[in-house]
Amino acid sequence: MRRSRPSGKVADRRIRVLLVVFAAVFGVTLARAAWLQTVQASSLASKGASQQHESLVIPAGRGTILDRSGVQLAIGEQATTVYANPREIANPRLVANAAAQTLGVDANVLYPQLADRTKGFVYVARQADPQKAAALKDRHLAGLGFYPEERRFYPLGPVASQVVGFAGIDNRGLAGVELERDSTLSGRPGRETVIKDPLGRVVDVLGSVSERDGHDVYLTIDHTLQAEAEAALRSAVVQWHAKRATATILDPHTGAVLAMATSPGFDANAFPDTTPDLQRNSPVTDVYEPGSTFKLVTVAAALSEHKVTATSAFTLPYSIQVSDKVIHDAEWRPTETMTVGQILARSSNVGAVTLARLVGATGLSSWISRFGFGHDTGIDFPGESAGIVLPRNKWYGSAVGTIPIGQGIAVTPIQLAAAYAAIANHGLWVTPHLVDHVIGGSRPKIDRRRVVSPAIAQELMGMLVNVVAEGTGTLAHVPGYNVAGKTGTADKPDPQTGGYSTSKYVASFVGIVPATAPRLVILVTVDEPHGAIFGGTVAAPVFQQIARFALQYLEVPPDNPSELRSPSTSSSSTATSSPAGG
Amino acid sequence: MVQYIGTAATARRRRRRPSSLGRAEESPLLARLDWTLLLTSAALVGYGLWAIGGITRHVVPGDPNYYLSRQLVFVAVGLVAMLAMIAIDPEWYRRSMRGMYVLMLGLLALVLLAGTVSRHSRRWIDVSFFRFQPSEFGKLMLVLFVAALLADRLQRMNELRTPLLAVALGVPPVLLVFAQPDLGSALVYMAALGACLFVSGIRWSHLGLLTAATVFLVVAVLWLLPAAGMPVLHGYQKARLTGFLSPSSDPTNATYNVNQSEIAVGAGGVTGRGVNNATQTNLNYLPESQTDFAFAAFAEQRGFLGVAGLLLLYLLVVWRGLKIVTIARDGFSAIVAAGIVFGFVFQIFVNVGMTVGLAPVTGITLPFVSVGGSSLIASMAMIGLLQSIHARGRLRRG
Repeated sequence: MRRSRPSGKVADRRIRVLLVVFAAVFGVTLARAAWLQTVQASSLASKGASQQHESLVIPAGRGTILDRSGVQLAIGEQATTVYANPREIANPRLVANAAAQTLGVDANVLYPQLADRTKGFVYVARQADPQKAAALKDRHLAGLGFYPEERRFYPLGPVASQVVGFAGIDNRGLAGVELERDSTLSGRPGRETVIKDPLGRVVDVLGSVSERDGHDVYLTIDHTLQAEAEAALRSAVVQWHAKRATATILDPHTGAVLAMATSPGFDANAFPDTTPDLQRNSPVTDVYEPGSTFKLVTVAAALSEHKVTATSAFTLPYSIQVSDKVIHDAEWRPTETMTVGQILARSSNVGAVTLARLVGATGLSSWISRFGFGHDTGIDFPGESAGIVLPRNKWYGSAVGTIPIGQGIAVTPIQLAAAYAAIANHGLWVTPHLVDHVIGGSRPKIDRRRVVSPAIAQELMGMLVNVVAEGTGTLAHVPGYNVAGKTGTADKPDPQTGGYSTSKYVASFVGIVPATAPRLVILVTVDEPHGAIFGGTVAAPVFQQIARFALQYLEVPPDNPSELRSPSTSSSSTATSSPAGG
Repeated sequence: MVQYIGTAATARRRRRRPSSLGRAEESPLLARLDWTLLLTSAALVGYGLWAIGGITRHVVPGDPNYYLSRQLVFVAVGLVAMLAMIAIDPEWYRRSMRGMYVLMLGLLALVLLAGTVSRHSRRWIDVSFFRFQPSEFGKLMLVLFVAALLADRLQRMNELRTPLLAVALGVPPVLLVFAQPDLGSALVYMAALGACLFVSGIRWSHLGLLTAATVFLVVAVLWLLPAAGMPVLHGYQKARLTGFLSPSSDPTNATYNVNQSEIAVGAGGVTGRGVNNATQTNLNYLPESQTDFAFAAFAEQRGFLGVAGLLLLYLLVVWRGLKIVTIARDGFSAIVAAGIVFGFVFQIFVNVGMTVGLAPVTGITLPFVSVGGSSLIASMAMIGLLQSIHARGRLRRG
């Protein structure tokens, strides 16, 4: 009845309109829900998971580096890192000032970072002093966060700084043993997946992998010998206004490096502020022309090839023509007859060239290689240089005249020290190494190979003793001990002329003590000394100073005690007067 | 002009033909209820309790059923309210329309004077163990008042001043609610008012005029007046209202709520994550997960299947509601039913739409699912009113 009336139709129509509108609204809403919950479901769910889950890294404590006696050279120290979430900071100026007061950071640098609300994380101070950080924390400023972090500290400062190297702010090794043994020292960081609430608070831990701290590394270095060597080098650098000086102490039987010093040095804690030039561990990474110390190789080759015996005599003029070059001895002398031993003792260039000619270029080249020159020694240190040794087919005309006397060839101090150590070790070459052992790890593998026969090593030792006893190395004499050694004075190549500098030299001395039962091989190089240039004058006294201390410190019994019993030369007075007297 | 059954002529005709309607009035009130609606609303209440039980499981540590047990008490109160509404003849509201209008304005004004502030808004009056939210009941009272007003003037609906009078009397409660500020409820009030006008037979041209005026008002409030130096909305309100137009422009601030809500809905997938794995809800990434964003929390826990079930139940209520409009005994009842149903639909759409990124964020409850006594009791009272209209309506059903 109502339906028949126009007004009723209007009402019905309007209700129908509402019905359509309602149905549409529900349809759209349901469709949207279906879209979100099917097609978009997985991407939205992962969006949710990514904001709720966080993977935290639990840093592993970095291993300690210790010297052979267990003294700490590099340790991890507890520090506190302070960070901020600018979005939660109400008053950036206030927070910046508070951080400046407590941590000593620059408020004017920090303020713009804290005021920048586009970022949710900025560092306020990395690895700050824990007490200062605690003082800041006590102010309860919103938006600041604190977490403990390990900071590398080098308790001995400059001692062995080039050897130990440096681990950066992220506790990764950047140089030296820190870099070489980084994987050993760093351990394995732990991981923890946590669930956070919207304020970033950890609500639950989903899973974790515990961290494994790094292993402690014991070096072969003895910090006392190292410090003494560094002190001796420092005074030599001052005395001779030298550019640089190095000292390397090897145990010839084990290849252990007891000290490896370079002067000038730096405080390891200030590594980032140090020039790269100072950071280099010169005995391993830098090359120099060895000069006369290299004659050992020439003589060893001649003896081993049976071209000569220790007593073979040669009539030697002052100079000798080799191809386009005239080689002469260091100081003028008339033509003389010298034995092989005297050639070494008096460091005769003409004599060395004469022996080299007997061996021949090919033979000499292979002996150079056999002594380890031109190859890495394999020392456990990053950035080792192999030296510069011309392959046989590149030898120029006068090479057979210069290389036997250590010119036109570049070696690293560690190569030369290892070569002399082989002679001291009855002809057996041992890989030099800096890491003695790692806690929980196996001992590093040490290569040994024969370079010369024990008999020839014995003969060479005898000749080297004479160098110190009556030759160019008398200032290296250590009272009470027989010292074997060799001086070296090498012109430095001049990059500008392509020839040799007339004013720049490397003075060096390599010695073996006690000669009768070798315990130490010590190589001292002094780069660009002024006033005097000869290895026997500049480097030998440094060797003597280091050797005397080391023998005493290591309680090595004198092998020439009669010298000490002589009333005129007590051990103490000889020790001080000897260098000047030689 | 719209003629409803309840106009004078129809009433006379009804009295002359008792056979067609009399039987219905003779049978007891309870027998004349809409049983489909009754079952549907019972299911909806149960469904809502199930949803609330899940949503609030992890809110109070150590007492997983804290909110559920409170909500059960409100269900009991709601039942009483529903029965009372069934018992009261709607004609009574029509007679006391002035008193109701005054009561409504009084309650809404009281909120502003003595209400409790929570999250930037003054919406509640503390009544011992629970917070009474007058705007939820004001909705019902406004519909009753406007329906009474229009039912008396159905013959004059062609004249513009009739709808204008309704709008003029509707503005004060809207403004009072808006001032709390409770933008969502203000919009629901306006929607209900519009629905009342619509079913009263307002002319399309007048409806268009009023719509245009409303649109102009919105534009003025959002953009023109602030540009002229007279901001009406709080900054956060405007950002929320306009934020849904460009949801990803600022993922951390104004649209944070919507983003978190969409993540929660989407993460629910088809079958839901269950109560314990609903991390968006449980870790509080989803804001207001028990009230305004209850739908998102529910969607995360119960998935699309749960959502579809809920929307289906709502649709059933709406369908029955529209049926009741058609069988209402007079214009007043029909307008009341239409206003209630439209307000109900509008509220659902605005709430659900906001959680799924279809509508602006306004802060509005979801009937039967949001935690809270006022919303539930008002919703159940509304069902009771529909039943009351049904029971007193014409016999023919369905």
